[in-house]
Amino acid sequence: MFSERERERYKRQMMLFGDEGQERLKKAHIFVAGAGGLGSPVSIYLAVAGVGTITIVDMDLVDQTNLNRQILHFDRDIGKKKTASAEEKLREINPDITVKAIDVKIDETNAAGLVGEADGIVDAMDNYPTRYLLNEVAIAKEIPLFHGGIYGFYGQATTIIPGMTPCLKCIFPKAPPMEVFPVVGVTPGIIGTVQANEVIKYLLGSGELLTNRLFIWDGMQTRAEEICVERNPACVACGGMGEKITARKKK
Amino acid sequence: MTVKIRFFARFRELLGTDIMTDVAAGTMFTPLITTITQKNPEGYAAIFDEKGAFCEFVILMKNGKRIDIADAAKTPVVDGDEIAVFPPVAGG
Repeated sequence: MFSERERERYKRQMMLFGDEGQERLKKAHIFVAGAGGLGSPVSIYLAVAGVGTITIVDMDLVDQTNLNRQILHFDRDIGKKKTASAEEKLREINPDITVKAIDVKIDETNAAGLVGEADGIVDAMDNYPTRYLLNEVAIAKEIPLFHGGIYGFYGQATTIIPGMTPCLKCIFPKAPPMEVFPVVGVTPGIIGTVQANEVIKYLLGSGELLTNRLFIWDGMQTRAEEICVERNPACVACGGMGEKITARKKK
Repeated sequence: MTVKIRFFARFRELLGTDIMTDVAAGTMFTPLITTITQKNPEGYAAIFDEKGAFCEFVILMKNGKRIDIADAAKTPVVDGDEIAVFPPVAGG
C-alpha cells in the first residue's frame, strides 16, 4: 500500500511499472558496500526510486579530496563519518524509505552478517580484496552482486547472478595492485547509475540484465563497449555451483 | 596477416587502441603483445613484470574468449584475430 505522498512521488515511474513494480521496489532491501564515488549515485538513485530498505556501509570520514566525486557528501560534512552524512542526505532525499548506515570495515568476520537478508549487494568498493569477500557472500546467499569499478575516465560494470553467470573471481581471478587512483566525478556517476539501473531492473524482473557481459566505459572517447565473459568451471569461488542449483531444481 | 589489438583503461592511455599489426604465421600471443608494448616502456611495465611475464591480474582475450596467462605463450594468433588486453579497474 502506498500513501498519497508516495503515489505522487513515484507517479512518473509508476507509469512504467505500475503499483506492482513499485511494490517490488518498496519491499526490497539492497546492501550498498561503500558510500564513496560509486556508492553516492547508486544510493541516491535507489533512494529516489523508492527501494524500501537501503543498508549502506562505509568506514571512512569525509575528506576534502572526496568531494570531486562523492556527491552524497558536502563541504560542511568534512570530518564527519561518511555513513552519518549518507544517512542524513538519503533520508532527506526520500523520507518514505528506511536507511541503515553502518560505520564499519567490511571483513571476513562480519560480511555475511552485515548483508543479512538483503536481496542484492551493490559493489561500490575501491579494492578487490573486499570485492572478493562480497562475491563470496553473494554466492553463499545466492543473491546478485552488482559490480562496478572506475579509473580516471574509465569504468566497468557487470551483474553477477551466482550459479548462472560468471562471478567476480571468474572474470578477475587476480586483484590489481592497490593504488591511489585518479578519477573525475562523472565516471563513478556513469558507472554507479548503470549499477542502480541494474538493481531496479532486477527487482522489477524486467528488461535484460548486464549478465555474462562486462560493460566497459571510455569517457575520453565517449564509447561504451562490452566484452562477453564466461564462467570458469574451475573457479575457486563459484566452480561447481551450477551443478548444485541444477541438482536442487531436479528434486 | 593482420590482427587487431585493443587495449582498455590505463593500458589504452599508455598504448592507444585498435592497433592493426601485421604478424608472421605462427606468431604467439605473448611475443606479439611484448613487441607492441615495448614501444612504450611505461605501457610495457604496466602489463609485464620484471621477468617479462604478464602481470597476474592482466585479462587477455582473443575474439571474445578468455586466454589464460599460462597459455598465452603457446596460443597462436591468426589473420583477423581481435585481441583485447585490459586491467580490472579497482576504484570506487
